[in-house]
Amino acid sequence: MSSKYLKGLVNVAKTPGISEKWEELRILVRSNHPTLWGKLRGTRHFVNDRHEDWKYYGFQAIQRDLKRVTSEMIPSSSKKKSSILWLDLGYFGELLKYDGGETFQDHGLGLLRTILHQEGIETDLVSIRNHRSWDELAKHLKGYKILLMNVRSYRYDIAVTAAQLFHQLNPDGIVMVGGMHTSVDSQSMESIKEFDKICIGAGEKVITDLVRNPDSFPRVFQGKAAATMEDWPLIDRTLWPKPAGWARRFNFTWPLEEGQRWGPRPVASVLTSRVCPWQCSFCNERSYIPNMRRRTVDSVINELNALDDKYQVGSVVIHDSMFFQKKSWLEEWLEKYPQKANKLWSYWAASRADTVCEWPELFEALIRETNWNVVSIGFESGSDPMLRMLNKQSTEEENEFVIQLVNRIGDEMEQEGKTPVSFWSNIMLALPGETHEDAFKTIRMIKRMKRAAIAMAFFTPFPGSALGNQLIAENKSLVNEQFVRDQNVGKILGIDYDFYHNLLQGKYDDEVNQGLSSEEQERDVYQFFSNDAME
Amino acid sequence: MSSFKHPHFMYLFSLKSGGKKLAYGKDPQDALEVIKLRLTSEEQENIIENDYIKVKQSKLQEYVHLLK
Repeated sequence: MSSKYLKGLVNVAKTPGISEKWEELRILVRSNHPTLWGKLRGTRHFVNDRHEDWKYYGFQAIQRDLKRVTSEMIPSSSKKKSSILWLDLGYFGELLKYDGGETFQDHGLGLLRTILHQEGIETDLVSIRNHRSWDELAKHLKGYKILLMNVRSYRYDIAVTAAQLFHQLNPDGIVMVGGMHTSVDSQSMESIKEFDKICIGAGEKVITDLVRNPDSFPRVFQGKAAATMEDWPLIDRTLWPKPAGWARRFNFTWPLEEGQRWGPRPVASVLTSRVCPWQCSFCNERSYIPNMRRRTVDSVINELNALDDKYQVGSVVIHDSMFFQKKSWLEEWLEKYPQKANKLWSYWAASRADTVCEWPELFEALIRETNWNVVSIGFESGSDPMLRMLNKQSTEEENEFVIQLVNRIGDEMEQEGKTPVSFWSNIMLALPGETHEDAFKTIRMIKRMKRAAIAMAFFTPFPGSALGNQLIAENKSLVNEQFVRDQNVGKILGIDYDFYHNLLQGKYDDEVNQGLSSEEQERDVYQFFSNDAME
Repeated sequence: MSSFKHPHFMYLFSLKSGGKKLAYGKDPQDALEVIKLRLTSEEQENIIENDYIKVKQSKLQEYVHLLK
């Protein structure tokens, strides 16, 4: 193996066209030796991260790192304290490696565990993400009476296996599940006999009684939500899983988070609102999550300041489904965040093209005055017919307006010596009814963005959504229990996925580039279209 | 088409073969146009275009079992 790489490196050094050779070597290592590739990537990111920290914090970065290394030398106790176990769902190894994938914590788990602990009900916590296999995990599941899991659609198959394993190890144990998938697909949850108690809907008002008296609840029951987010206690973030891998822990700055490189670390993720009221047909969350009053601006800022006092926040992720949605709240945020926050942390938050078109001045002011540095917009498609298919209620024209607006603001910020605002954009391809020209328009739209990271997926028919429900009813869904948003496998019948794979490899560039400026044509958007998009 | 100027609604259309088809748009005609973008001509002909009910998004899950 080593001689092959040495030869590769020598070739790189000698041959003209060094970048092509480097790319060949990169592909060789990545495809043949994924573990080595992961370690090399982790090392590169480690060095980059230290460099970024140095740029942002200066000498304080070294002080902070040394302090963290010292504190991490004291091992944490893993002794069982309770007969109730929370299982944090995810993929094996995510909290072990330096670059492990899923980097955010589960707010639902954090909230419900906080409620239980405040009521004097201690629970233990095990994270699948801190283990490498089911065999390894099994040792930590044994000896408990109750297992609690927050199940989202994309973790459903993992939850099923975990419940089956828990029952094998604890034949008298009870598995209690709640979360989004129970609300959107209670039938599939009920079909799993190992799920003993199934809470449909919000769990915050029932979890204490459920854990204290499981027998007083039927197998399937309706949960109860708080009327307002202000009724929720602040999450005790130390109840979130701590990365077990040393390198990951170092990078994570637990109980704050690592984030997605949208801003300086450590990252504080917060919710200011719940439920997007729009009716996009791939989501429709308003149909299965009850409406809830938004947190006050003061309460959000107070939480961030408290976290900063304790852990030194680097940047913020506002994990709302739709941040830019209530004008009066946003105006108050614009006024208070710069004045009252300990620091004007940059933040990531979500918007819609049509709301930006409705309040462009407010949008620009938020970017400039509150450091809204990464604007997440689900443009989804660059084609009007597909935007209608998705019930997006925005248009090609509105998308274009927002792209040019953010491009212009970003240019001006760059001229002023500031970090320019950029997009984080969700995009869907392989939509039902999509023509080749619709797909070309979407890639063209992406190429018009000067500064963007793209989250690309083939349309996935999620249960609970209008279009997902309808396609499932028509037997057109190819998704079998693994509701993962990606661009690798086919999700629905009647789609020519080979066309999309070729499109994402740039094989239709002649068609895509029609009407684009030379600068736009040159933009490398295909860097985002792989599993390693975030590398 | 923006949500500020043209609110959208959901419609359940009856099918000749039984069951319902869920469509959405600013009115029933618009909803039919949208759903037809992805249906075969045979599937389109199965829809009874003047037999529909308007459904609130918040009640959507109550009708899922009717969909065909």
